[in-house]
Amino acid sequence: MDIKKVRNEKFADFLAILGEQKLYAPQKVGESLRFAHVTDSSKVELAMANTTVPPKSIFFPQTETLYRYEMGNTEIQPPAVGEVGIVLGVRPCDARAQVIVDNLFSWDVDDPYYKERRDKATVVGLACNKPCVNCFCLSLGGDPASTEGMDLLMTELDDAYLLQPLTEKGEKLCQAAAAVAEPATAEDLAAAEGLHGQAREMITRKIETGGIPENLPALWENALWQETAASCLGCGICTYLCPTCHCFDIQDEVEGLEGRRCRMWDSCMFKEYTLHASGHNPRPTRRERTRNRINHKYSYFVDKFNVIACVGCGRCINHCPVNIDILEILAQVKEAL
Amino acid sequence: MKENGNPYQPHIATVEDAWYETQGDRCIKTFKVVFDDEKVRESWAHRPGQCAMIGILGVGESMISISCSPTEGRFLRFSVMRMGKVTQALHELEPGDKMTVRGPYGNSFPVDEWKGKKIITIGGGIGQAPLRPIIEYVKANRGDYAGLTLIYGSRTSGDLCFKSEFDTYNAANDVCCHLSIDVAEEGWPHYVGFVPSLLMEVNPSPENTIAITCGPPIMIRFVLENLKKLNFADEQIYTTLENRMKCGFGKCGRCNVGNLYVCKDGPVFSYATLKDIPEAFA
Amino acid sequence: MVDVEKLKEIARETVSRDDVKYLIGWRQGTYGFRTAPHFVGTPEEADNLIFSPLCSHNLATYLTLVEKLPVPRGQDPDSRKVALLVKGCDSRAVVQQLIEQGIGRDSVFVIGCPCRGVVDLKKVEAKFPGMREKVSATWGNGTIIFNLPNGNVEVPRQEVLAGKCLTCRYPNPLLSDLNFGEEVAVWGSDDYADVKNLEAGSPQERWSFWEEKFASCMRCYSCRNVCPMCYCEDCVLDRLNPQWVMRSVNTAENTAFHLARAFHLAGRCIECGECERVCPVDIPIMKLNRKLSKEVREKYAFEPGLDPESKPLQASYRPDDKEDFIL
Repeated sequence: MDIKKVRNEKFADFLAILGEQKLYAPQKVGESLRFAHVTDSSKVELAMANTTVPPKSIFFPQTETLYRYEMGNTEIQPPAVGEVGIVLGVRPCDARAQVIVDNLFSWDVDDPYYKERRDKATVVGLACNKPCVNCFCLSLGGDPASTEGMDLLMTELDDAYLLQPLTEKGEKLCQAAAAVAEPATAEDLAAAEGLHGQAREMITRKIETGGIPENLPALWENALWQETAASCLGCGICTYLCPTCHCFDIQDEVEGLEGRRCRMWDSCMFKEYTLHASGHNPRPTRRERTRNRINHKYSYFVDKFNVIACVGCGRCINHCPVNIDILEILAQVKEAL
Repeated sequence: MKENGNPYQPHIATVEDAWYETQGDRCIKTFKVVFDDEKVRESWAHRPGQCAMIGILGVGESMISISCSPTEGRFLRFSVMRMGKVTQALHELEPGDKMTVRGPYGNSFPVDEWKGKKIITIGGGIGQAPLRPIIEYVKANRGDYAGLTLIYGSRTSGDLCFKSEFDTYNAANDVCCHLSIDVAEEGWPHYVGFVPSLLMEVNPSPENTIAITCGPPIMIRFVLENLKKLNFADEQIYTTLENRMKCGFGKCGRCNVGNLYVCKDGPVFSYATLKDIPEAFA
Repeated sequence: MVDVEKLKEIARETVSRDDVKYLIGWRQGTYGFRTAPHFVGTPEEADNLIFSPLCSHNLATYLTLVEKLPVPRGQDPDSRKVALLVKGCDSRAVVQQLIEQGIGRDSVFVIGCPCRGVVDLKKVEAKFPGMREKVSATWGNGTIIFNLPNGNVEVPRQEVLAGKCLTCRYPNPLLSDLNFGEEVAVWGSDDYADVKNLEAGSPQERWSFWEEKFASCMRCYSCRNVCPMCYCEDCVLDRLNPQWVMRSVNTAENTAFHLARAFHLAGRCIECGECERVCPVDIPIMKLNRKLSKEVREKYAFEPGLDPESKPLQASYRPDDKEDFIL
């Protein structure tokens, strides 16, 4: 598959071509960046560190109707999932995260809603030229130019975007953009290589994960959970913004005679998450909830799917209101092992 | 093997019969339900120990253990304690009303593995509901099992589920039935005390025996202790766990105890599996 | 100057007291300009305490956020006090919690820290982006001095202070059992310019302003959880039966959530700004809270969290209370 490039001055035209399909890209919604349907390509923001909300929200929307019904009637109608098209500007950590989440939504029984969106979507990645201070993807098997989970990788050069197709879908996209693209030169490829290497050098936060998955549960009663949870507010930031967190709630909602059974993101950091109807709660305090969050990511998920459910995107660190830092937790874990 | 279709989409079933097992604030009501669609009726196959997600459109869903054995016929039974929003609404259902049912979910009691063994169930309160299908199953296949003993207790005689059935068990004399209540009541002919003490009273031999316990966490804890005193090996002890669940097939994430999903890896667990999972009895 | 050694000494003495469970203060964070709440249980742990313009957290929230497990039979509940470092605004939270009897006076030992304003992290991180190394800061003369890896940088405080601090009228704690540091002169005044600015818009303009903000809300509930005045054990927003706010995240439900939250804080919000600080999608929550504060001040001449002996707004009635809103 040939590597192409789109010069900066033609990038708007490139977006217009992509926009012939349903295109999602990072945009400002309110005051923060997230992936949203592109209706005005001038609003697309690729000069970003990363979006606040990860692109999981495209494949696994925060709220989704599983089926509709009319009150007093037992006929059930699952809604059409609709078009997905292209998800553009996905950082390598997030593209990789989606591959990790695929495990969950396809084991044993396929989740039809998630699967349809994943199958339909073309993921256009965007290599990280400037990782953030809390990026640690290198420690989790990622890379600022990783192609895992992408159909096409873009790298931002000085005067152009390099387009590297990785799958048939990616190749098709490149062909569709033939009018605005041109073949990449050897210099372009070298420049991209150089940027990727520089980006790797910029990632300073690291953790050696060896030994954690198999030994983490043994630290069940360790004081570190209480120490970590003491300042935890029990909010949903770390889990909602995590590209691999996938837990959800199912609720019936009725407006007039229109009913729907829908699912919405849920967070293991909420006390209601495990609260039994009887009032009993098997995870009664933030200590147990914090312990479960870390164990789930770094041990339970590994037992089931052989991969750590963390990609080192750093969102939970960047956005935690009380500076709970997963790398510090893991460092304490390593020390205690 | 992957199933086709939408696993979230329930079947519609009609309540054929409904009755109260117990009274009071947290009363228990049993529903006998039949699927509306004949094809579903024919294809539905659950095993003793499995659960189903039952619900009411417009209210919500709740994971409830199926309290009948497939040997009883092409219907389902659910014994539901009135507790939260969904179970309160379920209690309003009367014969002819509709509910949504999806499943069956989870593993089941390894009834084939247990052939030739003596079975003891040790239940407390609503915990008898998941035990009832194994009792019915063993009764229906009585020749395959060396014995069936039932130990069951609750706070008062009014809190015992499936009371009328116990008399038929004894009469048929194929089940050894031991009942208890916590505090003495006039006219109560059976044991008075807690279930774990009744277990010691019955004093079953662990030889060629499987013990299954289900009930409130505190009861389970003491029953396990006492079974160990009676020299039951970890592999001979089974229990069922419950946790808050939403999907029933290992996606929504919340029902885990350690690295196990109650909805997939459970609800039936041997004590050998659970004893090293610190969260199992939380 | 902040004598942090003195602070540590006070903390060591405090946590050594028999009637104190632990002390909550601040410590340096794990990177950049971040700081974190610091729970001091032993005298040794006091070594990491700091007090600086980076200490934005209102620690009073932990007084009510604590999740208590049932006391095992035969044991007495731990009735020891929690010692708490408070800035001026933080102290108002403690006062309001006392007024509402959310906490008992015996349950808390308050160490007052007069404050010359804390930074808005977003402003600081925009000024010095990509800071991995830990940075400390001190108050200068009308400035904030950042101890960056390659030397100190002094920034006029107007450029980096949190909005709430620019208009602060209560830099000195209004309640304390012990004071650390010297009283500071009040510099701020509050004319609610931000609220007036918003009020000047047409209903349509105001609605589209909020609609866009509420649409971005993820309902992570960090604003509620961090709020020292949001301490209901059974929050109306979590209730399923009856369910007042649906779990669906959409503009309508998000609006219901934000309005319910704001109204439940009317006459109670002490304007520490924590809700807005923690919001991961930068919703200007304080604008809502301050709109209600302004109404309460104008209509009832009332300000919450000033006097522990006073009554809550909703529990106090004066014959001349305005009632023109009653139809």
